Amino acid sequence: MAYEKILEALIISLNVSIFSTLISLLVSLPLGAIIAIKTFYGRSILIACIHALTSIPPVCAGLIVYLIISRSGPLGWTGLLYTPTAMIIAQSLIIIPIMSSLILKNIEQDFKNYKEELITYGASFYVITKLLLLNRYGLYKTIALIGFGRAISEYGAAAIVGGSIDHVTRNITSSIALETSKGNLDVAIGLGGMLILISFTLSFIVNRKESFK
Amino acid sequence: MIASLHNVLLNINNKTILDHVSFDIPQNKTTVFLGKNGSGKTSSLRCLNLLQKINSGRIESFGNDPLPMLFQSPVIFEGDVLYNFSFPQKIKKFKSNLIWHDAFHLSDIHQQNISSLSGGEKQKLFLSRVMSLDPNIIIMDEPNQNLDFQSEVKLKKLLFEEKNKNKTIVLSLHDYNFAEEIADYLILLDQGKVILKEQRDMFFKKLKNLKKI
Repeated sequence: MAYEKILEALIISLNVSIFSTLISLLVSLPLGAIIAIKTFYGRSILIACIHALTSIPPVCAGLIVYLIISRSGPLGWTGLLYTPTAMIIAQSLIIIPIMSSLILKNIEQDFKNYKEELITYGASFYVITKLLLLNRYGLYKTIALIGFGRAISEYGAAAIVGGSIDHVTRNITSSIALETSKGNLDVAIGLGGMLILISFTLSFIVNRKESFK
Repeated sequence: MIASLHNVLLNINNKTILDHVSFDIPQNKTTVFLGKNGSGKTSSLRCLNLLQKINSGRIESFGNDPLPMLFQSPVIFEGDVLYNFSFPQKIKKFKSNLIWHDAFHLSDIHQQNISSLSGGEKQKLFLSRVMSLDPNIIIMDEPNQNLDFQSEVKLKKLLFEEKNKNKTIVLSLHDYNFAEEIADYLILLDQGKVILKEQRDMFFKKLKNLKKI
């Protein structure tokens, strides 16, 4: 029984976190690259906002998403509240600024170093963006791992918009909180051990990546 | 004359880099900039190639757009030598001139990762890459940096071959012997000022007198 609960929570956590990581990476890659390369009015304010959002408390991200998708919110009609999709949106809100900030920093540095030579070869904005993005291919795996680690281990946002519904949105972190409050410490310890193992493994992989600067 | 600077003043971070500098670059001749570190050689090349905004004065460049040139710190993309040699092809399709590539035996190291190359090997790659475009106007900032004796001899031979094709060559060098061998016209800079600009024979005659003073 305990084993089944752990496995189910693990599958929900992995599903939600993998999707939110992929979506965040797809959003962050063009966002980070364009901000790094383009000059436009308000760019420095936008960069400051992205950096500031890297430390957004997960419960606040969850609250924002809740206010938007709750019945009385602007997207209440979608019926997303208390679904895995809502958890994916909330987690993406947390990790997009982290990923964008890391991509932006690296591409900005490359652009500063390389833009003159690339321009002399006749490179357009599109080609420069493509070359610089391809150049950091190894780094994106690391950034994805960082984002995934943050997503799978957060509790506040997923709990607020997911509602910890059994078999649907009860992931590892909300299961740990629930089982601890119910006194089922063996299940909570098993889930906690699982989460620590995932976090340590990710941390180990990320720190082994030499390409990360 | 194919290009010139007229009374150019360039300040960067309140430091005068070029102090009301004027000179001409003769067409189909080899011009060499000489001077100590920080004398303004690189800035002069950058101004000539429209890569540097100036504070005052006038620039007559080789054309309306910057030309491919050998930079002191050229673009290095993650990947192998072949990718780094051929990436200009991804920007603009052209028929590669492989004379320099073959002379420096780049085929032998095509598959090597760029990070495993020595400084000299990288320099040969950068020289071959810019010359693969077969430019009519050759601009090189310290082309012999990091090269061993044999490679430098090869570089001189290749440059003489280009010179014999009546190309306009503009180089910045530290090596006075190399400059004396290849230059038709020389410009000596010191602390952002032109100290001497003359045809080769006259230049070295006047340089001796300058040293006596």
